Amino acid sequence: MRASQVIGLAWRSLARSKLRSFFMMLGVVVGIAALTALASVGEATRQETMRQFKRMLGTFDTLTIRPGANSTRGMPSLGQVEPSLKFGDGPAIATGVRGVKRVALVQQAFDLDVSYRNETTVPLVLGVSSNWADIRGEAAAHGEHLTEDDDRSLARVAVIGVDVARTLFHDEDPLGRTIRIADVPFQVKGVMAPRGSGPGGASLDNVLVIPVATASKRLFNRDYLTTIVVQLDDADDSDRVADDVRALLRERHRIIPPAQDDFTVGSPRATLAQIAKVGTTLSKVVTGVAMIATLIGGAVIMSLMLIGVSERRREIGVRRAVGATRRDVLQQFLAEAALISVLGGAIGIAIGMGGATVGALLQKLPPAYMWPMIGAAALLSLLVGIAFGLYPAWKAANVDPIEALRS
Amino acid sequence: MNVIEAIHLARTYRRGDGTPVAALRDISFTIAAGEFVVIRGASGSGKSSLLNILGCLDTPTSGEYRLAGENVSTLSDDARSHIRSKRIGFVFQSFNLLPRATAIENVEVPALYTGAAPDRARARSLLDRVGLAERAEHFATELSGGEQQRVAIARALMNDPPLLLADEPTGNLDSAAGESVMQLLASLQEGGRTIVLVTHDEHVASFADRELVIRDGAIASDTARRPWRQP
Repeated sequence: MRASQVIGLAWRSLARSKLRSFFMMLGVVVGIAALTALASVGEATRQETMRQFKRMLGTFDTLTIRPGANSTRGMPSLGQVEPSLKFGDGPAIATGVRGVKRVALVQQAFDLDVSYRNETTVPLVLGVSSNWADIRGEAAAHGEHLTEDDDRSLARVAVIGVDVARTLFHDEDPLGRTIRIADVPFQVKGVMAPRGSGPGGASLDNVLVIPVATASKRLFNRDYLTTIVVQLDDADDSDRVADDVRALLRERHRIIPPAQDDFTVGSPRATLAQIAKVGTTLSKVVTGVAMIATLIGGAVIMSLMLIGVSERRREIGVRRAVGATRRDVLQQFLAEAALISVLGGAIGIAIGMGGATVGALLQKLPPAYMWPMIGAAALLSLLVGIAFGLYPAWKAANVDPIEALRS
Repeated sequence: MNVIEAIHLARTYRRGDGTPVAALRDISFTIAAGEFVVIRGASGSGKSSLLNILGCLDTPTSGEYRLAGENVSTLSDDARSHIRSKRIGFVFQSFNLLPRATAIENVEVPALYTGAAPDRARARSLLDRVGLAERAEHFATELSGGEQQRVAIARALMNDPPLLLADEPTGNLDSAAGESVMQLLASLQEGGRTIVLVTHDEHVASFADRELVIRDGAIASDTARRPWRQP
């Protein structure tokens, strides 16, 4: 038989028992729809997480150095960290490590009251070197960013995030106004561009930056940092630069292995890779469940095919009598199983993509479709059809025509 | 030339408990091309077993079956399928049309297994020949018994086989429909086609040139019913 005839025959057979075909494909539809939808929703969520990190970090071509041996997560306040990262470490990295574009110094605290007249808020307060804004690559939305002069002169100036501006000033123009950070007066010289939400959905705009020298000497009275941000010339070089930074800091901090480092070098890429991996673990579980559903769909196909074979013994007998070989009969029934499964898969993919789109829109995320998974789902439906169709088709091929035709 | 040569054919079945049952024992005869032969016998006489072997659906336990001079009794299942496809047409007592297919689709079924391109025109002309051109698009279940059997005959002719085997073709038909089916079958003999028909009906047997009677798995008589016309 020609391939087109085999498929045509399978199509007609399925089309002429629509209800049976519907039930045959139901399990595969559900399984593949779940596979497609969950994978695509997962992908949309993962992409959104990536965007959130991108918004928080501004850029991915950086390394983040924090005090302490194991501080990869969370945002420590200045009072809670080891005093191991010194101001001198920053310039040392800038001059001593190849492939470093900028080094920004950060002191941070999120337990300080910030007030203007009767309004008070508790934003994240960052003491930053003036090149911090350059790493993020964003101009101030209003007014100006901090400058090197501000840092040198220990100026009491602040650039505030839009949330802080809104809370403290409402509709008033904040520029030139004096706010009090832990009762120390600072003049507002700029408002940052809005950044939206970061990982976990928290606002990235409830923030305020002041010169790091001012922070150190006039606000916190501490001579160590919570973070050093290193921007790379080439993001792909991050592993090498991280190693060099570690070596340099060990030397400066006089750490001789096996003594533990008193700092941690993290890269956004590593963090993102970890996020992607967590996403992968979750999607593996989800994929497993959906695959089981698809396999159950395959089992339904097999049982209904087996019933079909016994109902169609006479048809098989006739076909054998008029010249069909065992192989012809096997092909016919296998084609029916594969076709119904692939149709179920196609419908499942359509439903799954529709569901993923609705799901993403409900979460107010741009929809994303995980095409490799969708391709795999299509392939899976074909394989399920063939795998579960094989036994019924074999039974059909081995129907004894003499038995089947005996009236 | 002999289309069929049966040489000491025997067919033994085994019962569930392993006891052998001889359905056919030592059957020998020949059928020439263009003959219309009827095989008669009571039920259980072995005539269906014989027809299965003649139709290459079954193989003899011993003896030799030559189809157009070729020994086909030891051929593989596939090889016999190909022989059925090209050289044998079947007509059954219960018509055996595919119920979910139209008349014309039923006629086309044998063409599926020849590897040739679909030939709807031939199927249509065969339906026309059996007088059912206007019923081509009807489903098998919408046709009367006589119509179904005529579709089945058209199907048997689809691959233009030299040998037609019919098993009680009028057994499920009323006498009028049976008569018209028999006339149709008899007309197919023209052009040199060989017809072997199994029946227990004396009237049906009267259409044939020659009658073989089977009793207890052996040939009881072999008589010419009327002078056979060399085609």
